[in-house]
Amino acid sequence: MAAPRDEEASWSAEAARRVWGGAVPLQVHLHDADVTTLPPPPPFLTLGPRIGYLPLLVPIIKAHFSSTLPPGIDTVWFEYKGLPLKWYVPTGVLYDLLCADPERPWNLIVHFRGYPAEILTPCDGEDNVKWSYMNSLKEAAFIITGNSKNVMNMSQADQVALWQSVMKGNLDGYANISTRLKLGPFEEDCLVRTSSVECQQGSDEPESPGPGKPCRVPVRLYVRSVQEDLHDLEESVPVGDWESISYMNRPFEIPKEDEEGRSYITLEHALRTLLPELFSSKTSGSPDDSDITPRSCQQVESASASRQEADMAKSCEVKLVRVQGIELDLDIPFLWVANNLKNPECYLHICVYVSRRKQQPKGI
Amino acid sequence: MAAEQKKVVVHFRSTGNAPQLKQSKFKIGGNEKFLKIIEFLRRQIHQDTVFLYVNSAFSPNPDELIIDLYNNFGIDGQLVVNYASSMAWG
Repeated sequence: MAAPRDEEASWSAEAARRVWGGAVPLQVHLHDADVTTLPPPPPFLTLGPRIGYLPLLVPIIKAHFSSTLPPGIDTVWFEYKGLPLKWYVPTGVLYDLLCADPERPWNLIVHFRGYPAEILTPCDGEDNVKWSYMNSLKEAAFIITGNSKNVMNMSQADQVALWQSVMKGNLDGYANISTRLKLGPFEEDCLVRTSSVECQQGSDEPESPGPGKPCRVPVRLYVRSVQEDLHDLEESVPVGDWESISYMNRPFEIPKEDEEGRSYITLEHALRTLLPELFSSKTSGSPDDSDITPRSCQQVESASASRQEADMAKSCEVKLVRVQGIELDLDIPFLWVANNLKNPECYLHICVYVSRRKQQPKGI
Repeated sequence: MAAEQKKVVVHFRSTGNAPQLKQSKFKIGGNEKFLKIIEFLRRQIHQDTVFLYVNSAFSPNPDELIIDLYNNFGIDGQLVVNYASSMAWG
C-alpha cells in the first residue's frame, strides 16, 4: 500500500508549496494626510505573501513613499475602507475575511502618522511581528502537545532560522526546523506523528499526548456576518469595525474512538463542533444570538435530521467558508485541511461568512 | 443557562521583581478579552509596563477571548497568568 501514501505525500508537498507561494496583489495608497508633495505619489504595487504580515512590507513601501513623507517619527499602519488592519493577522486571512468578493489588486491605504492605539496594539516593526509569531507558535504547541516546551527549548539559532524562513517564504528552510518541533501531521487515529522514523534525534523528545490525552488541532476562527438577503458577495457591506467580527480560538478535538466505521471527519463536522452557536437549530433570532456566545452544551447531531429542514430552522446560515483563499467544500476531510492549509505558526485560520436572521437593531 | 456568561478564575503569579498582589485570584467574565486582564493588572500593580504570560510560556493576543484561553490553556480549573516588569519569556 505504498502507492497511495506516496501520492498523498506528494499532494501534501504540493499543497504546502502553494500555500507558501500564495500572495495577494496589493495596491498601496499613501493616506492624504501624509502627502506633502504635489502631485501626490502614485500608489505602490507589490505582492503580499499570504502567510506573511503587513508590517514586513513596510521597508519597501516606505522606500517608495520616502520622498513625500512629512518629517517626524513614523508609526506605520494600514487601512481598508476605514478599518485599521490588525497587523498580527496573516495578510491572506485579512484579505479572505475583509474582501468578500476578492478585489485584485487589493487597495489598501498606508498611514505613517496617527497610529490608532485604541484599536491596534503597537507595532514598531519586524521584532514585534516575530514576537507575535513565536507566541502563536507556542500557543499552538501547547494545544497540540499539552505544553510549549518543544518551542521554548529551541536554540536561539533555530528560532532565528525559523523566523527568517517564514519571513522570506522559504518552505524548505522552514520544514527543516519545524519537523523537529513534532507538531504534526495529525492522523485519523488521533495521534500526532511525533515519533516517526524521520525524527531520530530522539533524546529531547517532547511529551507527546499520551493515550489519555485527546489530540487537539489549533484553529483560529473569524466569523463575519453578512446581510441575510445577500446574493452577490460583491454587495456585502464592508466591515466597519473589529467588534463585528467574532474572533475565536477553539481547538478541534479529534474524537478518540471510531465506533462505527466513521469514514473521516468532514470540515462540516468540525465546524459544527467548533461553532455550535452557528449550527444550532433554534428558530428564533433570540437576543443571545449576539456575536459571541459562550460555547453552548447543545449537541448537534450532524447526520440525522433532514438537511433541508435543519437549514430552514437555522437562525443563521453559513454562506461561505474560506481557508487560504479557497472556498472549501464542507465535505472535505478536516484533517487534510488542518495538515495542508495551516499557516506556519501551526494554526489553521478559517474565515466563516454567515448571514443572520434580521434582528432588532442593537441600541447604539 | 447558555446565555449566562461563564466566569473564569484567573490566578496571577508575579515573576521576577514585579509587585505581588494581596489577592491573587479573580473571577473574570469569559466573554471579555485578554486585554481586560492586562488593564486590570496594570491598575492593580500601578504600573503601565507589565508583561503577561500564560503558563509561563506565551503572551496571548489582547484580542483573545478569556473563555477560549481558559478552554485551551487552563490548568486545574484556572487560567494561570504570570506577570513581570520586564520580558521574562522571549
